[in-house]
Amino acid sequence: MSEGYRQQPGGPGQTTRKDGKRVAGKQAFPPPGSGGSKPQMAPRDLDFIPESVGGKEPQPAGSHIHDRVRTGTSVGREMPLVDSNAKVTGQAWYGDDVRLPNEAIGKILRSPHHYAKIKSIDTSRVEALPGVLAVSTGADAPQRFGVLPVTKDEHAMAVEKVRHVGDLVACVAAIDEATALEALNLFDIEWELLEPVFDPKKGLEDADEPIHWRGKYHLARTNVQKRVFQEFGDRSLVEKPHAESYGKWSMAGVHHGFTEPHAVVAHWDPNGRLQLYTPQQVPHYTHRALSTVLDVPMHQINVIRTFVGGGFGGKSDPFPHEMCAAILSRKSGRPVRITFDREEVYWINRGRHPSHIEVKMTADKDARISGFDIDALIDGGGFASFGHVTSYYNGVLATAPYELGSFHYTGARVWTNKPASGAMRGHGAVNTRCAVEVGLDEMAETMQVDPIDLRLANLLPPHSRTISGFRITSNGMREALEKVRKGSNWDEKFRQMPLGKGIGIGCGFFISGSGLPIHWDPNRFPHATVHMQVDMDGGVTVHTGAADIGQGSTTAVAQVVSEVLALPIEMIHVRSHESDTSPVDLGSYSSRVTFMNANAAIRAALEIREQLLNAAWEILGYHPNNLIMNDRRIYYKHDPAIGVSYLKALHKAQEDKGALIASGAYRSPPMGGVHKGAAAGLAPAYSFSAYVAEVDVDVETGMIKCTNVWAAHDCGKALNPLAVKGQIIGSCHMGLGQVLSEKMVYGRTGHLQNANLLDYKIPSVHEMPHVEPIIVESCDPEGPFGAKEAGEGPLLPILPAVVNAVYDAIGIRLRTLPLTPDVVFKGIEKALKASEFDDPTDLPSPTLTFSSLQPKLVARAQEHKIRDLARQRTEDTSPYVNGVLFGFDPTVPLEDQVEGWRTATEPDPEQLAELGLAGRAWLKKEQRQMEGEN
Amino acid sequence: MLMPPFTLHNPTTVEEACSLAGVLLGKGEEFDWVAGGTDLLPNYKWHLNPKPHVISLARIEGVDTLSLHEIGCMARLADLTVENGIHPLIVEAASKVASSLVRRNATLGGNLCLDTRCFWYNQGELWRRSIDWCHKADCGTGADCRVIPNQNTLCVATYQGDIAPTLMVLGAEVHLIGPNGLRTLPLAEFYQLDGMTKNILKKGEFLLKVTLSKEGAARMGSYQKLRVRDSWDFPEAGVAASWIPGDVNSLQIATTALESIPRCHPEEVAAVLEEGWDGMVSVKALAAAVRKSVQPVNNTSLPPRYRKSMVRVLTKRAVQKMLE
Repeated sequence: MSEGYRQQPGGPGQTTRKDGKRVAGKQAFPPPGSGGSKPQMAPRDLDFIPESVGGKEPQPAGSHIHDRVRTGTSVGREMPLVDSNAKVTGQAWYGDDVRLPNEAIGKILRSPHHYAKIKSIDTSRVEALPGVLAVSTGADAPQRFGVLPVTKDEHAMAVEKVRHVGDLVACVAAIDEATALEALNLFDIEWELLEPVFDPKKGLEDADEPIHWRGKYHLARTNVQKRVFQEFGDRSLVEKPHAESYGKWSMAGVHHGFTEPHAVVAHWDPNGRLQLYTPQQVPHYTHRALSTVLDVPMHQINVIRTFVGGGFGGKSDPFPHEMCAAILSRKSGRPVRITFDREEVYWINRGRHPSHIEVKMTADKDARISGFDIDALIDGGGFASFGHVTSYYNGVLATAPYELGSFHYTGARVWTNKPASGAMRGHGAVNTRCAVEVGLDEMAETMQVDPIDLRLANLLPPHSRTISGFRITSNGMREALEKVRKGSNWDEKFRQMPLGKGIGIGCGFFISGSGLPIHWDPNRFPHATVHMQVDMDGGVTVHTGAADIGQGSTTAVAQVVSEVLALPIEMIHVRSHESDTSPVDLGSYSSRVTFMNANAAIRAALEIREQLLNAAWEILGYHPNNLIMNDRRIYYKHDPAIGVSYLKALHKAQEDKGALIASGAYRSPPMGGVHKGAAAGLAPAYSFSAYVAEVDVDVETGMIKCTNVWAAHDCGKALNPLAVKGQIIGSCHMGLGQVLSEKMVYGRTGHLQNANLLDYKIPSVHEMPHVEPIIVESCDPEGPFGAKEAGEGPLLPILPAVVNAVYDAIGIRLRTLPLTPDVVFKGIEKALKASEFDDPTDLPSPTLTFSSLQPKLVARAQEHKIRDLARQRTEDTSPYVNGVLFGFDPTVPLEDQVEGWRTATEPDPEQLAELGLAGRAWLKKEQRQMEGEN
Repeated sequence: MLMPPFTLHNPTTVEEACSLAGVLLGKGEEFDWVAGGTDLLPNYKWHLNPKPHVISLARIEGVDTLSLHEIGCMARLADLTVENGIHPLIVEAASKVASSLVRRNATLGGNLCLDTRCFWYNQGELWRRSIDWCHKADCGTGADCRVIPNQNTLCVATYQGDIAPTLMVLGAEVHLIGPNGLRTLPLAEFYQLDGMTKNILKKGEFLLKVTLSKEGAARMGSYQKLRVRDSWDFPEAGVAASWIPGDVNSLQIATTALESIPRCHPEEVAAVLEEGWDGMVSVKALAAAVRKSVQPVNNTSLPPRYRKSMVRVLTKRAVQKMLE
């Protein structure tokens, strides 16, 4: 038996005689083989089969419902992404690689003004230019669209006014690029210039001409697009704090900096259907928006997602240039291609919001966090984009991983005459997370305790609820903190290194999928659907709408299907490019894809698995409970010799019906509170992370060099550790950019000064520290095989870790991002002025002597560790809600236990006077409440 | 990104290049020289003062000489980053220019004749239209300077080359050639204040080579560059220092990336030397004096106040390292 069990060979079947002649009256139907160059079944690999089902894969966090379908084939194995060959050989087809016969080149005329009304556009000179095939202006597409149904405020091209330099005014298609560019100079436009707003603080004030008008819901005459107020908990705890921290942050806007500029090709096929090729993260929203803007039913549009050369949130809105290409193509009768210059990429933007954030936090005498007060004024630029959600995320995603006595958040997003901000990796959570984690560091300093111990003694346990009502399931925060502490040798370094050398800690918390599908009721329609088909050759074709934007979602789907069906990954073919062939998927945002789509794929694969096992049952006579699926073979669990090849079982299952078809879907369970905005930040699972960063600061120049990062991320279960490590390292790079050098610079005239990759300073390989990725597996009960997200959460902790490390190095708290050398130098100059020294190299380095609180925290953390382990392994299933640490009973509603327990979404009148910067938006009334006043 | 069309000329000898230039000048046709193209072509893509003719020096034989005493204009910067007989100070500066990829194309001549830079100028056409153009590329509008408005006489774009200050403190000479023949002058006299004229090259002239005297070659020095990233970035400030080892009176300092031209600081050095050399005290005094003498403006990535402050640190470090 050394050769193992043979797969079904191909070639002639039983209908030929020994001499090779055909048996009389029988046709030869040669069966396909499934062996190829590997004719033998691979032995079962117990290292990748969980302990709970008899394997050797350790499960410190307990067992999982999917354990029983593990086959040890793909899950948990480091494997290259399935599309990596196409990418490394240059054969992947990105947006601008699409070339259709007879295509025309489209160019967009953009606004030279920050804010202006278009009084008239004369296109006659453009149309007269030889070579011009089609011209279009806003009048051709008056329908509004936007990524969120509640804030549709965009047009294909400006209809009445332009809202920032670079806003779309008109477009033209011509026989070549040179002609199209020449045509752009021939538009005759009469403008009426309006007073622009650049400073988001000004956006809170009434304006003559607000950038958008929301009718009766418009807030006075301001440029406030969205305001949020949330208050939870016992506010009396905040009074008389034992320690507190207050910080005012100014954070520059940053861009995703993806490699591939936006590009689109539109083509109306001979049947009059639109075929649109675009590198989109969220093809379905583009599909919907195209239908609205073009006034064509969705079934007459096929959105083809090309390979996406990086998205990070920046390719998730339906974009006006996609509409322009479709309009120009319809007008000219030819395919039209539009490819952006880098400058245009920055003008369409959707990067992280420039933010003014104030964070006040307090702790009581036991070093319990009695309150987080956050105020975030975020600069939305010219359009709403995802801003409605961002406005919430800036607050609510700070409600964990710590147990809080109370939480108070005011947020406002304002329109300004700049390119629109939107969603970017770590959406809405990154900036406040940085502010909060630095605040904790400062509180630890005041209380003279170790900041890691302060965190460890204040963590929410697994299977608990945050103060805002989010359901926490698996939680690997503690393990992450412990691992980075050990890995970095923290206890030997913190506050003990010489001037200029520092070490810092930061944590992160992020959603793994958004609980609410934006376009429909989650109770009636699933988040994700996957179709699967297995034909005679045994290959499995998976149809999914999930957009692989480089994060590896296609690989994740292929891996889970391969795992369930015990087939090598090359037998799984994922088809995800066309809306014609793929079921609706909401797209790659909110870190939802692996969680939701892989869950849907597992469900579909389980259906196929059942059919295969039933067929094997018929052939072998053993009930599926006694059958094992392993590498292209199904066999009796007590005697592998009694078995049937995968293909044979498949063909048995296919008798009478042909190809096997299955469909799987995922929907999130009902959860969350009922207050206004309760759905924002709600997710079926959350990821946790902790980083320690080490820096060198040149005290004479203010230059920071991040040298080492220990990065622990709880992704539930690493389906593909290689991909998870890649995401951790990539997140580190992106976050380092934001904290050290990247910013969108708006000059004195309001123009974006650095719309290119030389002046927009993404760290190079020289700036990249050594990153030690540490995977924490908390085995999420609802995640596919226990998995949670790993694409966005790992970005969060690097910012505060670096800022805290800079403090450890030079003893200066800096609250301006990015920490460019001039910012650091200014801080050092200020510190020098306040000190007795002339030379920065004489500055003292911060030190720490523990107070009596330190041993108490260590003891509490130790108790909590035991508590958390029992809860994680569901040995303790008692209810736990935020507040237990403060002595409340988790089985009785907190409102009934504490007088004055708040769950408020609007300020009380007496609070109005003391609201923060963004909170001042609550001093204004909506138009509908102002009737009679004006 | 489409470059405006131009006619590319590929002379194979210096004489042919000069006569070609003469012919074009005679016809009143405007043209640019191109060597490695890493400066000119990106500017052309942004439609920054493109010309209808471009004369390439790439096919001219014998202008890529490399030795301690002579470096031809077409010598690639990548070849200047290895110490095969090249002065170590030049190697130090060349190694800090842009990225390894750019250095493979970029040339010494191109680096010395680098166009000045400014964030109101190095932008796409539509961007510049949105600010109504600027003085340096006014597109016939007579536009004002955007860095310092209401002065329509001077362009304050910044020269951001790395190699010029090192060659200056080594006392290098440049050899310029054109239809009217060859002339030779110290590099320190090559640059001419104004971000538009940049240097004293006459129409039709190009920089043929750089030579280093025996005295210059005997000097040792250091170059300090301020930049946000250790790759790609132009200097935000740069200071070069050199001396004949042991002779403090031979000290020379030059700065770059702070003004429209790189320049030497003989007065500041002389003033400090006059007081008598006193180790670190003198180094600090010199650093303070050089810092005081430069006037950066707000047109590069880092704020001018910071860049100016850093001149003190860079000067100190350059001199300290040189003295080591």
